[in-house]
Amino acid sequence: MENDRIPPERRRFFLIIMLSGIGAVLAAAASWPVWQYLAPRKGVGEKEKVTIPRDQVPLGGTHFFTFRGHPAVVLQEKAGVFIALTAVCTHLGCIIKWLPEKGEFECPCHAGSFSPTGTVLGGPPPKPLESYPVSVQDDSIVIG
Amino acid sequence: MREANVMLLAKSCLLLLLALVAPGVLFAEETVCIQCHGGQPGRLGEPVNLWRQSVHAVNGISCHSCHGGDPTDFANAMSPARGFIGVPKGEAIPDFCGRCHVGVREDYLQSAHGEALGLGGPQCVTCHGNHAVRLATPDLINPQDCTRCHDYGRADEIKSAVVETDRMIADLEHSLEALHRVGIATKEMRGELFSLRNDFHRLFHSVDVEKVRSQTADYQQKLGKIRNRGAAIEEELARRKLWGGVVVALLVLGGILAMLLHKAYLDEERR
Repeated sequence: MENDRIPPERRRFFLIIMLSGIGAVLAAAASWPVWQYLAPRKGVGEKEKVTIPRDQVPLGGTHFFTFRGHPAVVLQEKAGVFIALTAVCTHLGCIIKWLPEKGEFECPCHAGSFSPTGTVLGGPPPKPLESYPVSVQDDSIVIG
Repeated sequence: MREANVMLLAKSCLLLLLALVAPGVLFAEETVCIQCHGGQPGRLGEPVNLWRQSVHAVNGISCHSCHGGDPTDFANAMSPARGFIGVPKGEAIPDFCGRCHVGVREDYLQSAHGEALGLGGPQCVTCHGNHAVRLATPDLINPQDCTRCHDYGRADEIKSAVVETDRMIADLEHSLEALHRVGIATKEMRGELFSLRNDFHRLFHSVDVEKVRSQTADYQQKLGKIRNRGAAIEEELARRKLWGGVVVALLVLGGILAMLLHKAYLDEERR
């Protein structure tokens, strides 16, 4: 028989090498998703800040911008008092708009209304708008 | 006494079964509006049956959401003091629907249709119907309905301008729904799509062909971005399937090799 010419130690060695190789590949395959889950994310980080010239946000007015990849809005409610919020309605994801005459944000899809600080005043939104930290540095507003 | 206990047990089981198999039915019967009007024949009961087929019913928008009143109190359900509005007159319908559909109302009022309000022009229910209102599609623009008031030519131009973008939106909704079913978090993308869909449907209401044409490319570009994100997730899922197959094949091969190794040890022991 062909098999009988191969010494059993060599057969065993070959099988152990093959099995170890497969084990190593399987271990790597199992570790990869764990590594991907634990590794820091590339690209935009949570620490990203956005700077907007102060004159772009008039008193009682708003400025829409992109914050960490999502639509956001900054409002100058009173002189020197700025509030930054997500511009995405918490109901179904439409972009809110500012109604200066009412002093409220309104969602054009189903009439959800929010106060200048993002609390729900009426309509179907289930929760308030998320707010972001704002600071004023010289002639700039820093959000984040 | 024993019979009474058996009857009580049977009733409890029946109620539990009903609660398990028909939660929707139990929910729908909650308001006094439905309890009272649902059983009435003709004009007074018909709206309930029509509403049951509507997009409003699917999304939990019930009678009192539009008509006001107290849905928990039989005696005062239709009391103006409890906010009952009743049925709006024709010219008041855009304001009635526009309490929720504010964006659409705004575009409609600025359109040729809105300018003809009160002069024989159409309002919301002329095209959408009232209680059986369905999810709006370009099929609402058709010769039968539009020629009730005017020539179809201009309406057909608008339909041609919107139909391709609307098809893109519908396809994207289906693919995001499919991704959601396999456990992918699509809430954000679905929100963006809903917002775009709403904006685009507002555009129809301007009934301005040039405006629709000029903005269509912008909508298609935004839809393309969402589609690319969805496609990237689909590619990732396909890659995972492939690597999953490779892992299964390696496990099978490893099992065979382990079996051969075991045999090799046995052979050595026998010698």
